[in-house]
Amino acid sequence: MIPMADIMLVLLIIFMVVTPMLQHGFTVDMAKVENPEEMQAADRDDAILIAVTRDGRYFLGTTQVSLDDITGKVKDLLSNRLDKTVFVKSDARAKYGTVVKAVDEVRSAGVDNLGLLTEKLETTRKAPPPPPGQ
Amino acid sequence: MGMAVGPRSGAVSEMNVVPLIDILLVLIIIFMVITPTTPHGLDALVPQPSPPDAKQDPALLAKTIVVVVGANGKVLINQDETTWDQLGPRLEDIFKQRAEKVAFVKGDDNVDFAEVARAIDIMRANGIDKVGLITAKVEAGQ
Repeated sequence: MIPMADIMLVLLIIFMVVTPMLQHGFTVDMAKVENPEEMQAADRDDAILIAVTRDGRYFLGTTQVSLDDITGKVKDLLSNRLDKTVFVKSDARAKYGTVVKAVDEVRSAGVDNLGLLTEKLETTRKAPPPPPGQ
Repeated sequence: MGMAVGPRSGAVSEMNVVPLIDILLVLIIIFMVITPTTPHGLDALVPQPSPPDAKQDPALLAKTIVVVVGANGKVLINQDETTWDQLGPRLEDIFKQRAEKVAFVKGDDNVDFAEVARAIDIMRANGIDKVGLITAKVEAGQ
């Protein structure tokens, strides 16, 4: 049974090491939609991620922030970069009102491009054709 | 390949590689499973309000399409009530002749984000490239 134990230990160690690296931002249960785009930029280490939880709390990356602090902090983060995209990672069951409040704060920081992170819903039926011109 | 019978004398000189292979295989499988999880998302824009003294172009205003996600699962295109199934085809109809594929989304404060995400998803699937989120402050012109 020693090889089995070896494997289990290695698995455990790998998951311990990999899990924090995979998750950017606070973990929420994201909405599932049929045709999202890939957003590689959201995976970058310096991506600005705002998470909105089901109970209306806001997280910038992994630290909790109050609604009023979002504008200032996002402004600081955006000050020296060209790509002014902020990613909003909202819980599927968060009230849209709370999401919109965060969006408003982000907008005040001068952001006009937003990425609403979702999960891809794997459906068996045929997905609608992609929009023309893409 | 001789069969050893009875107690062996001396140490086994070959390295036992089978556990090593096991571990490596598991590693490979784990990395194969983990790698393809790239993040997905819906692109959206947040319009900055126009300066208060700017003139509104009535023609542009009349062309603006706002999808409203209301409470109790209602969906409206501008003032026109519609259903989730009809939303896609109707939007496609409207935007067939237009060059500027821009539309806005407005949601009731109490609907779940998933509903709005679904609306944006349908809009994007039906050829709207630019989806703008109308927020409370945009409406107030702040």
